[in-house]
Amino acid sequence: MGSDDRPKKIDRRDVLKGLSTLPALGLFGYAWQKQRAYQQTKVEEAAAAAQAPADLQVINIALLGAGAQGQVLTDSMLRIPGLRFRAVCDIWTEYNQKRVVNSLKRFKHEPNAYEDYREMLDKEKELDAVIVATPDFWHERHAVDCLKAGKHVYCEKEMSNTLEGARRMVAAQRQTGKLLQIGHQRRSNPRYLHCYNKLLKEAQLLGRIITVYGQWNRGVTPDLGAPDRYAIPQARLTQYGFKDMHQFRNWRWYRGKGGGPIVDLGSHQIDVYSWFLGANPSQVMASGGNLYYDPKTHEWYDTVMAVYDYDTPLGPAKASYSTQTTNGSQGYFENFMGDQGTLLISESEVNYAGQLYRDPNAPAWDEWVQKGYVTAPKEQATKATSDSGAVADVRESVAPDQHTVPVTLRDPYHQPHLQNFFDAVRGTATLNCPADEAYRTAVAVLRVNDAIESRAPLAFTPADFEV
Amino acid sequence: MEDMKLSRSAMIAITVLRVVVGWHFLYEGIAKLTSASWSAAGYMKASRGPFATFFHWIASQPHLLDQANLITMYGLTIVGVLLILGLFTRVAALGGLGLVMLFYLCNPPLVGYFYSIPSEGSYLIVNKNLVEVCALAVILLTRSGLFAGLDRIVRVLVFQRAQPARTAAA
Repeated sequence: MGSDDRPKKIDRRDVLKGLSTLPALGLFGYAWQKQRAYQQTKVEEAAAAAQAPADLQVINIALLGAGAQGQVLTDSMLRIPGLRFRAVCDIWTEYNQKRVVNSLKRFKHEPNAYEDYREMLDKEKELDAVIVATPDFWHERHAVDCLKAGKHVYCEKEMSNTLEGARRMVAAQRQTGKLLQIGHQRRSNPRYLHCYNKLLKEAQLLGRIITVYGQWNRGVTPDLGAPDRYAIPQARLTQYGFKDMHQFRNWRWYRGKGGGPIVDLGSHQIDVYSWFLGANPSQVMASGGNLYYDPKTHEWYDTVMAVYDYDTPLGPAKASYSTQTTNGSQGYFENFMGDQGTLLISESEVNYAGQLYRDPNAPAWDEWVQKGYVTAPKEQATKATSDSGAVADVRESVAPDQHTVPVTLRDPYHQPHLQNFFDAVRGTATLNCPADEAYRTAVAVLRVNDAIESRAPLAFTPADFEV
Repeated sequence: MEDMKLSRSAMIAITVLRVVVGWHFLYEGIAKLTSASWSAAGYMKASRGPFATFFHWIASQPHLLDQANLITMYGLTIVGVLLILGLFTRVAALGGLGLVMLFYLCNPPLVGYFYSIPSEGSYLIVNKNLVEVCALAVILLTRSGLFAGLDRIVRVLVFQRAQPARTAAA
């Protein structure tokens, strides 16, 4: 149709050709509906997989804190049978609360939404347990009030940003007799449990652990930000202890709200140090600083290096830990080095997921290979020359055999720890990280920031770890 | 130079091309609109090439990122509907071309660039985004909405309205 044949009026041909592609839109609508139905079926199948067997006690739960960590825990809990979400509480009613409530509704839960946790505790009388995933400085009040309201509590780590708060949580747990599990989820990770129970305690493959090294490297993290249309009114921010929306979104950067990277990242791994070494530290010295970020916005150190002394049942050990938040290369792991072997482990399923090195002087591990505790060794050839042709020095150590830990976790990382909590609520398990255990970790971790301030080694006494 | 007019079969082929490109746009838009957590942030943060600084900057500005997300979601959806229907085809093709060109420039498969973003194929300079840009250029220049699409009806209606006015003026 060119400019020389402009139509005078619409004829039948115009209508037919004009509407000729309309059926494609109808076909699209049909295909889209089919696709939506398929996706809904998948969601329902996933929900059905988490259906409780008839004899399984259903636990009524509430999520308190529906931010990023709350979402992570929710995703795990949706895979655990026998849970019924009754309530979601978050002060960001404009976004977080709606998002989690809507996602739960897709899985056939009908949670009530609250801004104020006290109102939730008043109204939701049938709650058995509350999952606390709020900023650290709220943990104490949330956990203590929930315990006193007669609820079992799963609280994210760090159990509190202050030791006073952590002590009050332990006291409230003892006073109420309710369960308080702290979210050091490696304590329930099957690979960590295998390493602790089988490799370290039973087989004693590492011999005497003398040094430990661990790290968590994380890349530069930008301001999380929030669109204006979802902003929380200032009065509500102030009511809940936040200066502004920026601080609300980035509370981990601020003193008085969180504990900095040593708490956010290091706490998980330092918890494993004490667990695997079977002791609490006797001393810590540390160095840290705000080397990269603007101290006006990042009040906590972006880089921390700490060295612990331990008096373990087998003898003294030293454990160093480093975390930095400006480069994520080489990620996170813990490396335990004994006189007979080395264990390199991390929570990650793709990096450092459990490698063992038998020292050439150690007894053979054949028995443990046959029992399936470790995989058969992969011999590490000691290179005489490098890939570039350079000749190795005669002093190069003989490379140890490499084994792997034959345990993988196919579920989300937090699921086993939550499962342990709910099993304990049903009375079929004991908590893997009860409050008094997590308190000892909080003492070891929070003291690092004190050691940085004091620029001197700080000693622990056994009494420091008791409440 | 002789004025070349496209054959009927060529116009049918271009119309089919327009509908399938529109379909792709529409589903990309709807999938993003119906996803609670979709954001262009990850794609922009992974940007490399001559415009990487620009895309990183957008990804780091919450307000701009929010606008970019909205433009992408609604832009893809609207362009998709218009292309399928052949309505305002040239505007839709131009808008779609601009959007996809931005996607291309954000992560162009230039020599030596290896992306961490999962990709189902192997690309060197030309990728599917660039192919779609070219397809939209063809749609833009051949006015297939006038051949088969609502543009044909709109054009007649507009012509009819304009005609009495011109007659009266004469």
